[in-house]
Order: sequence, then C-alpha cells, then structure tokens
Amino acid sequence: MNYGRELLKGNTDSLLLYLIDLQPTYGYRIVKELEKRSNGYFQFKEGTLYPALHRLEKDRLIRGEWQTLPNGQQRRYYYITRKGQQALAKRLAIWQDFSTAVRAIIQPETI
Amino acid sequence: MANSISHYLNSFKACLNIDLAIKDSVAKELYTHLEDKSQELKETGLSEEEADKAATRALGPPELIAQQIYETHAQGSWQEAFFTALPHFLVALLFASYYWQNIFCISLVLMSTVGIAIYGWHKGKPMWFFPWLGYYLLPVIVTGILLIYLPQGWGWIAALIYIPLAVFVLIYIVKQTTRRDWLYASLMLAPIPVIFSWLLSLGTGNEFLMDNMWMARLQRAAPWVAITFLTLAAATISFVRLKSRWSKTISLLIPPIVILALISLANRGNVDFRGWLILTLSLLAFTSPAWAQRLGYNIRKGENLCEAKGSR
Repeated sequence: MNYGRELLKGNTDSLLLYLIDLQPTYGYRIVKELEKRSNGYFQFKEGTLYPALHRLEKDRLIRGEWQTLPNGQQRRYYYITRKGQQALAKRLAIWQDFSTAVRAIIQPETI
Repeated sequence: MANSISHYLNSFKACLNIDLAIKDSVAKELYTHLEDKSQELKETGLSEEEADKAATRALGPPELIAQQIYETHAQGSWQEAFFTALPHFLVALLFASYYWQNIFCISLVLMSTVGIAIYGWHKGKPMWFFPWLGYYLLPVIVTGILLIYLPQGWGWIAALIYIPLAVFVLIYIVKQTTRRDWLYASLMLAPIPVIFSWLLSLGTGNEFLMDNMWMARLQRAAPWVAITFLTLAAATISFVRLKSRWSKTISLLIPPIVILALISLANRGNVDFRGWLILTLSLLAFTSPAWAQRLGYNIRKGENLCEAKGSR
C-alpha cells in the first residue's frame, strides 16, 4: 500500500471542495492547481478527478455548469453549493484537529 | 477530433451504460480535458499525434473511468428505489388485502400503471420507469397465453395470429431497452416469470379460464403471492441502491429465478407440458437481455475495449 496515495485518496474530496470554494473552476485547471499549490507533490491521477467531481455533484456539494469561453471553447465549471461550504468547513475543522493531535504526539515542541 | 482522442472517447462511451444526456456531457467534459492537455503538450514540442496519445495515457484507461462514473450515477436515491419498486408493492398489496378480485382496485392499479409508464416515457425513460413498463406490457403477454388455452383448437388459430404480433412488439421493446442497458430490460421483465409461475402452477390446461377452483386456489395462495411480490420489490430496491454492476446483476437476476423454481417445484403436479414450456420461455425471456449482451460481446470481440477487459 502506498501510504501517500491512500492519504491523498482520503482527502481528495476536501481538496476539490477547497479549490472550487476559492473560485469556480473546471477539471483540467483543478489538476494544474493541485500540482502547483503542492509544488508537484500531488500528482493527481487525471482520470480519477472526474468520478470524484461527479460524486460531489451527486451529493449536491458542488454543481456543474457548461460555459462558453470568449474563444468559443466550452468548459464545465464547478461551483460550490451552500451544503458544500458547510461540508468543507466541517472537514477542515476535523483536519485541523487531527493535524494538531498528530503534531502533539510526534513534534510536541512545536505546539 | 484527432484519432486517438476520438478512439478513447468512443471506448469510454461504449463502456458507460447511463442516461444518454449524462453520458454525452461526461464525454464532452473529458474531450475538453484532453484538448487542454494535448495543447499543453504540443507547446512543449510534441507532434499533434504524440500529444494526443500522451494526453489519453495521462487520463488513464477509459473503461476504468467509465466504471467509476457508472458507480456514481447508477446508485439511485431511496426515493427512486421506492418508486421503482412501487408496482411490485401495489401487486403485493392487492393480494395481501385480498382485493385482487375487486375490479375497481384492479382497474385503479392498471390505470396508474399505464399513466405512470406513459409519464416515464415522456420523461426520457429513467430507471424507475422500467418495472412500470413491464406491468404495462403484461396484459399483452397474458392475452397471448389465454388464447392458447381457448377450447377446441380455436386457441391455436387465435394464438397464431396474435402471438407473432405480441412477440414482435415485445422483442422490439426489449431490444430498444437492451440498447440502453440490458439490466433495465431484465428489470422490466422481472415480474413475468413470477406471474407465469403463479398463473400456471395453480391449475392445469384451461382451468384458469373455466374453473372456479382455480380462483379458489389463488385466493388460498394470495398471502404467498404477496410475499413473492414483496421479494421482487426488495430485489428492485437493492438493484437501485447498489453501486457496482456486478452486485446489481446478482440482486436482479437471482430472486425471480429462485421464486419461479420454488413455486414450480411446490406445484409441479399441477403444471402441464404447455405450462412448463411457457415457464421455460418466460425464464428465457427474462434472462435474454443478459444473453444478448453476451452474444453482442462475442460478435464485437476485439472492438469493445470495455467488455474485453471485463470492467463491468
């Protein structure tokens, strides 16, 4: 088992919700943004992104909308919903608590 | 659209058995992704062909994405599950309450079935529509069987005229449904073997046209009939709620086969040759979409990436 991959898998939804909450965006840009913000640490498997986005949409945490760009290209933009914002806030709070607890054990001097 | 991208999207669409509108939208979304990725790779100096190939490789196997998208969209809500199973519940209720002989109740259920089936047809045939369509088609099939049992040879003459027409209509509808998803065809046909096994195991020959004993036997068996339809309803709810295609298949195919086998074995003395023939045919009809799918796979072997890798 790849521990890093499992960690990413467990937190994919939160990362997606966070990025979509920052600004409405589309699939390809999400992949790029994740790579950029994590300095290349998160090499997101591109194909797994869309099932994850559709799952979030089905759970009504985000909604997708086709938009035509000025150059005529179409992109499916995702917007976070109120339910998505609430879910994100809850997940971020849990993550902060978890992270603090882990640091308290392995790096107590930093707390 | 470049060849490798086009081939990729065709494979993806071939693997994905969901509503056409959703399928097209997801395929379009993947296309825009591949277009962006390919453009980025071309800017690094790759040729168009190389860039397209690299873009499709980076996105991953199309059948895997299709499977994951299917699992996202194939699971219906509890509301949807209940509405899909509702016709089975109504039939169970008719028998549990002994109102199956009440012409008003039967007409009400029949009219609701027709109305909801027509509504579902106009709503783009969602998943919940198919069991309603199955009950909508039932009178067509039952009429054909009753014709066989008309007395003094007249039955066969009437049946020879009626049955080919009914079979044509039935095959046409099953074929159209199988094109969408063979599981929906079996979902539609699920009540047929169960109804036939009850119909034929309670009396031999033309008893159920002529004999009041047959009605009395059905009246006695009514609670068991209700239980079998409740089992069908439970199987339908599982079918809608489950995510993976494999578990959906098991939940849909096994209960009607087991019910048919149990009823037929319990009443084997009452089933005549024509009865067994009809039961066998109804079982074949119920499982035919699965066989058709399998046959389609053999014919197209090598063309359909999704089937070849058994990703469903």
